[in-house]
Amino acid sequence: MKSSLVRQALILAALALVPGFVEAIYFRDKISWQSPVPASEMVTAAQARAWGSNAIWVDARPDAEFASDHVPGAVSLNEDRWNELLPQVLAVWSPEKKVVVYCSSLSCNASREVARRLRKEAQLPNVFVLKGGWEEWLKSKK
Amino acid sequence: MKFVWRIVDLVVGGIFIYAGAIKALDPAQFANDIDNYKILPWTISVGLAFYLPWLEMLCGLALVFRLFYRGAFAILIALISIFLVATIAAKLRGLDITCGCFGHASQHWNFSAHLAVDLAILAALLALWLSTRAVPARGSDR
Repeated sequence: MKSSLVRQALILAALALVPGFVEAIYFRDKISWQSPVPASEMVTAAQARAWGSNAIWVDARPDAEFASDHVPGAVSLNEDRWNELLPQVLAVWSPEKKVVVYCSSLSCNASREVARRLRKEAQLPNVFVLKGGWEEWLKSKK
Repeated sequence: MKFVWRIVDLVVGGIFIYAGAIKALDPAQFANDIDNYKILPWTISVGLAFYLPWLEMLCGLALVFRLFYRGAFAILIALISIFLVATIAAKLRGLDITCGCFGHASQHWNFSAHLAVDLAILAALLALWLSTRAVPARGSDR
């Protein structure tokens, strides 16, 4: 019975490889295997600063961190209050502007999650994630 | 009593088919969800994001049609146990996990809700497993 269980499990595990492999080929241009955010969707603090008033800074950190300090002119948009805060981003957005989303550091996920939702749900183009987040922005200020 | 277990089969199988299908439709989101646990490198998260949904769906179908029945149980019990341990470990490490196991609807579930749903599914799987040990399932040796 044990060998039958193992054999069945192995067959199922092997069968699942086939559609998984096909899907990986289908999505090859949509997901980067190297980094969570494709290089084309990342921006450094220096690049984003160079965009000047053409950049809309979106702070994806929790409310308390935004209240304590943020990039000058940034608007807050976090997932906890997405529906409430999204209108203020849309109010300052225009087609020629670039959106730069940041969270606290290199290891945080909030910025890429907010950027993904801005692209997918709000249908905004030119949405970038700030490499290194708030920490990197502070360093670049010095 | 056999009729009741058959219903449980269909419900649990259906849950895994649904959960797998939702994730297979948006592998980028699922890769991010796996990456949120900060256990695996990004490349492996992407590979799993393509593979695991199909494995879940195949195992769900195996429960529904009672083919490779025991193998499917072994895989699903292993998957949900690993997921439970990872969720608890993430909580202990202070990570804010968005699981997305059941698509967008589950993204804002809190830790207790995640735990309750996973434990309920694990309990149902174990109960089914024990019931089939008492009365061997039709075609279980296939």
